[in-house]
Amino acid sequence: MINPIVSANELVKTYSKGLIALNNISMVVNKKEVLVVMGPSGSGKSTLIRTFNGLESFDSGELEVVGITIGTDPEDRKVREIRKRVGMVFQQFNLFPHLSILENITLAPIQVQRKNRIEAEDHAMELLSQMGIEKQAKKYPIQLSGGEQQRVAIARSLAVNPELLLFDEPTSALDPERVNEVLDAMRKLAQDGMTMVVVTHEVSFAKEVADRVVFMDSGKIIETSSPNVFFNNAKEERSRKFLNQIIK
Amino acid sequence: MKGLRSLYIQVGIGLVLFILFAVLINNLSINLIRTNLNFSFKWLYRPASFALAEHPLPYSPSDSYAWALFIGWLNSLKVIFISLIISTLIGFITGIARTGRNPLLKIIAASYITLIRQTPLLLQLMFWYFVGFLSIKGTLIFPNERILVLSNQGIKIFGDINLTAEYSSLVIGLTVFTGAYIAEVVRGGINSVPRGQWEAFRSVGLNENSGVLKIIIPQALPAILPGLTSQYLNLAKNSTLAIAVGYADIYAISDTIINQTGRAIEGFILLLLSFLFLNLIISLMMDFFNEIITKYQKV
Amino acid sequence: MAILLMKKINKLINNVKRTMFTSSLDTFISLFITSILFVCTVKLSKWFFLKANWTVVEENIPLFLFGVFPADQRWRPSLWLIILISLVVLTLFTPSWSFFRKLLPFAWIAVIPIGIALLAGGIGLSPVASRYWGGLTLTIFLMMSSLFLAFPFGIILAFGRQSKLQLIKYFCSIYIETLRAIPLISILFFGQLLIPLFLPVEIEINRVLRSIIAFTLFVSAYIAEDIRGGLQAIPKSQIEAAKSLGFNTFQITRFILLPQVLQIALPALTNQAVGLLQNTSLMSILGLVELLGISRSLLANPKFIGQYMEVYVWLAAIYWFICTIMALVAQNIERKTTLVKLI
Repeated sequence: MINPIVSANELVKTYSKGLIALNNISMVVNKKEVLVVMGPSGSGKSTLIRTFNGLESFDSGELEVVGITIGTDPEDRKVREIRKRVGMVFQQFNLFPHLSILENITLAPIQVQRKNRIEAEDHAMELLSQMGIEKQAKKYPIQLSGGEQQRVAIARSLAVNPELLLFDEPTSALDPERVNEVLDAMRKLAQDGMTMVVVTHEVSFAKEVADRVVFMDSGKIIETSSPNVFFNNAKEERSRKFLNQIIK
Repeated sequence: MKGLRSLYIQVGIGLVLFILFAVLINNLSINLIRTNLNFSFKWLYRPASFALAEHPLPYSPSDSYAWALFIGWLNSLKVIFISLIISTLIGFITGIARTGRNPLLKIIAASYITLIRQTPLLLQLMFWYFVGFLSIKGTLIFPNERILVLSNQGIKIFGDINLTAEYSSLVIGLTVFTGAYIAEVVRGGINSVPRGQWEAFRSVGLNENSGVLKIIIPQALPAILPGLTSQYLNLAKNSTLAIAVGYADIYAISDTIINQTGRAIEGFILLLLSFLFLNLIISLMMDFFNEIITKYQKV
Repeated sequence: MAILLMKKINKLINNVKRTMFTSSLDTFISLFITSILFVCTVKLSKWFFLKANWTVVEENIPLFLFGVFPADQRWRPSLWLIILISLVVLTLFTPSWSFFRKLLPFAWIAVIPIGIALLAGGIGLSPVASRYWGGLTLTIFLMMSSLFLAFPFGIILAFGRQSKLQLIKYFCSIYIETLRAIPLISILFFGQLLIPLFLPVEIEINRVLRSIIAFTLFVSAYIAEDIRGGLQAIPKSQIEAAKSLGFNTFQITRFILLPQVLQIALPALTNQAVGLLQNTSLMSILGLVELLGISRSLLANPKFIGQYMEVYVWLAAIYWFICTIMALVAQNIERKTTLVKLI
């Protein structure tokens, strides 16, 4: 039996105002799986995937990511080890504005993984052409469209050869006509067998690519099903209500 | 675990700083013993035995050092508060002229600001003192003796207010200098008001001048205040250049006292305390204005 | 042709009318200012061309430039000034893509030790004690070396003030706030008096070095606040993105925060540099013969007594010119190194 890449065990996180972000979350993400997390805003789905690479701490429970176990007060060294092996793509791209596209992608391989520059640049160009934007390598983030910036962000997180990629609403900040170019890139990754956890509202993407869909509300996992079941015949009343609201 | 590590780091750094200070203090005490100056403030009660040309309260050379320092304090306040008021006026007028529509005023304001900001204050003070006052030959009268008389002795207003050349050139220099900086603060504040507000007051039929005064400036004030505060603080600090024109402010008197007594450490501490106090007064004053403005604008 | 010209003149008159003579108050102000300006211009140019006696400037150019530096060694400060001027020209006119540009920062740093070597001598050059340094050379030397030292110190203080370690945070805060509270002249004065007191008896440091230390202590507190302002302008998401790529704290600071902070804070830092250049003039009260100091001793010379106006106008022109050059160089750096501004 293969160990899962992420296994969360009874995670609880409460914000200072008594708001519960994570309410007793237990789940696993398996290798080569694409897991889509859905739910209304404020349901805790962003918080959940941000705990997976240590951007958020939790108050109780236990988390194992890429074979490293962390508790409520993890050591910096362990968290950084996880981050080196887990990539993350943000809603607002978060490219480094002072670096060119190529430098954005090669900075981590060169500084964190100690690769030599030429090797890192070759790899970066390969990734950029996979994303269909190799012509933009010398430009700066500000000169690119939102869709292009997000594809650069994906290439940047791929550059360190992660075992797991986290997507935090990767298409929510894009103009509608730009959404598909990013989703296409993600589809390709899924076909290549990348393990992915995706927080998104894109139903068609979830139907087509997801192996499982996790539905969250008020910090709890309400339902975990295959996309077929979830979108056509959801088990829970709350899931059906949510789906009615977003599919119109 | 993490907490423990940061504790170790802090203790380590604390120790390094402590050792550094210990070495410095040790050197200091060796040097003080060598020069026979023990750290104490008793000398403050000894007679100062120097004369002061300007003293708002009675003073004679037989008064104590402490009293001399206090007179210096009053002399500083006299300069700071008058300069503060006039430079605010100059700054607002210039700042408004700089953003206004009259091209002539704009050019004049801009050249005033660049000339003043690109030359040292000390040079400007010397200019006002040596060129502005000391080289006046005879007396200049505007328009008759009852109103304003200029001479190399200073300024005489309304026949009975006498301002010395030192005081006048210091106030003029500080005012002209700080005014240029305040003008830039005011300009920044005015530019932060959305353009639509100009169109709005024009469309209700207000003319330019009253529109700027009644509509634009009140909205710009919250953005202007922080910059204004730091300019006032700078003005207070810059007033210590009084020594260059021979005006006896707090710093000039401390300088004299230290040269007489050799009490550098104690003098430094007193000067530091008086400036912390002065900054406190200015900050409190500005907080008070800020409160008034926010209250007034909420209503 | 004539009609076109007439139209243009008409437009100009209309423009003038619209902007300067809209109301009776505006008309009055405009006329009043024009007449005052006219009188002043006439008087000033009369003074400038007829009354002023410029021999005081003409005869003493070497003194203004080098102070009392030994006459037979004047080629050394001259060489240094020429190197500086060529660096300014190179910075202003090399295009941003050129390979040469990457070397410029190192050249700017190297200028300081070169300056020390040329002024102080020692290595194959006859040594010249610091009390003979002076004039514009000393002014620029004071400014550049203090800035060079204050810059890293200010950065450390700024990051220290943001530190999670309470002890460091409070130490940096107290340092910054204290130095910002007291006037520069007192720091310089006590720097001259106190620095020797805090050092062992056998170590002696000269006046120039003491004033550089004092300027550094002072300016670093202001630089720290400018850097902190820049730090606060960087969105937190930049740090999150860097963390999720596996960078450690040092790498985040070095590769993500610092480059962005410096770009954001550059205008404020330029103001600090210009302010520092002007403030070096305070040393003229405290016994250095930099540009203003040498002028003061010149004016005490019976031969030139009373020629304040000429000397001060000349000094103002020099300071104004150098400040303007500094602002130009800063603008140039800002334009050529960054696209972040476009955001």
